[in-house]
Amino acid sequence: MTEVVRFENVGLRYGLGPEVLQDITFGLEAGSFHFLIGPSGAGKSSLLRLLYLAHRQTRGLISLFGQDTADLSREKLPNIRRRIGVMFQDFRLLPHLSAFDNVALPLRVAGIRESEIKRHVEELLVWVALENHMDVRPPTMSGGQQQRVAIARAVISRPKILYADEPTGNVDDRIAARLMHLFEELNKLGTTVVIATHNESIVNEFGRPVLRIDAGKLKIPPQEGPHIRKNEPKINIRPNSLNQKETI
Amino acid sequence: MRFNRSNLALKKDDTNRFLPWIIAFMTLLAALSIAGLLMLKQISQVFEYNSQDSITIQIPAGESSDDDEQRTSKMLVALKKVDGVVETTRVSNAEIKKLLEPWLGQTAGSETIPLPQIIDIKIDRTSDLTAEKLTRILGEIVPGTMVDDHSQWLANLVNTLKSAELIALCIVFLIALATIGTVIFTTRTGMGIHWQTLEVLHFVGAHDEFIARQFATRAFIVGLQGSAGGILLATPILYAFEYILKNLGSGLLPKASLNSSIWIGVSCIVPVVAIIAMMTARSTVIKTLKKMV
Repeated sequence: MTEVVRFENVGLRYGLGPEVLQDITFGLEAGSFHFLIGPSGAGKSSLLRLLYLAHRQTRGLISLFGQDTADLSREKLPNIRRRIGVMFQDFRLLPHLSAFDNVALPLRVAGIRESEIKRHVEELLVWVALENHMDVRPPTMSGGQQQRVAIARAVISRPKILYADEPTGNVDDRIAARLMHLFEELNKLGTTVVIATHNESIVNEFGRPVLRIDAGKLKIPPQEGPHIRKNEPKINIRPNSLNQKETI
Repeated sequence: MRFNRSNLALKKDDTNRFLPWIIAFMTLLAALSIAGLLMLKQISQVFEYNSQDSITIQIPAGESSDDDEQRTSKMLVALKKVDGVVETTRVSNAEIKKLLEPWLGQTAGSETIPLPQIIDIKIDRTSDLTAEKLTRILGEIVPGTMVDDHSQWLANLVNTLKSAELIALCIVFLIALATIGTVIFTTRTGMGIHWQTLEVLHFVGAHDEFIARQFATRAFIVGLQGSAGGILLATPILYAFEYILKNLGSGLLPKASLNSSIWIGVSCIVPVVAIIAMMTARSTVIKTLKKMV
């Protein structure tokens, strides 16, 4: 398996402050599924920001898709970012754009033809059960609906890696479970998934490899590997499985 | 709006609300300066043309109008024989009265204030004919005849007008700088307001050029709106200025008017301002984005 992400002795500090991440070393194989866990303030969000190129490390080496990010010119960054989907904890939807336009954003910046955008976005909005909310703007949507728009935006361009920052933070357990199943389904399609969460019950329930971060240091539990639960539920999400009553 | 192509709500910014007004005001000043500059150019060109080869001969008033006629005829005959004189034009008494009317009123040309006779001549400047030489020749025919070479005093006037043109050009330049500064400031403010949106656009893979284009397009539209408004405001002022110039009643200044070249110059401000605003916004966004990761 090829690694899509590699961190070697990475450190990060903001300005002249102390290092918030120290000597981070790990790799993510293509098609893997990891949880990134740790207490609040441990450095999860900082690590994610390095992963989706919102920040540059202050030391160490970060390689994405086999390319050293330090060598990447500014012009090449967008092409790397287009292969990464990010679902932010606060969704970061653009309030003045409709659900359709929010989801279409990654395709528009990539210069995809409008007819294709229409087809793909409508298909995805049906998949996340928002076909009746295409023209609705985020401020008038519920938290769950906004979350689905955020997911749709993160996956519309079929990213190779998907990062989700506390995706279950603002939803009840049932919706959280459905959301996790959705991520697993995307993972089955070949997307590398990293989910930052402090919800250990979800981590235990889904039994995927864990990257534990504490006080800015990464601790990979011994014999981490995939500790998948024996009674893991069968997941079979089809495009319309989020419809109507069982929406997330 | 399902297919809304603008990803930034720039239209709703407070910065974009007042920018057209500032641009309109700047355009108004620029239009007045440019129109003034072109009118000054018209005037200085007339003066320059006149100063090139024009000399005025003033024959002192005689005992009677018959005497005036006789002297003037003699002078015209003599002038035709002088080497270097290309053309002679007698200025009629009516024209002289009209020229002097602002100073002397209706009394000009009456018995109490007799008028001198005036002949305008064109000379060949390549010949050796000078004002002094002509004074000597003509003084022998009619003593007291004065020869006024326009080139000397008109050259000073033309230089003064050219300085005024330069000042007007500097004003236009300063207005352009102020407009550029305002666009830079409002673009940066707009970027500050939309910082989170810009971050999202970056995370979904937008190139700097994609983001800059949105700011540039908006700046172009605002530039067009503002400058068109400024021209609308400037138009009645320019017409009023032209009316005042035409009715000065002074023979000193040649007639300057708002001809087509002035209107073309003034209306060119609209696209120029819009393009300047667009290019300034674009380069500001590109420079500012480079500070982001």
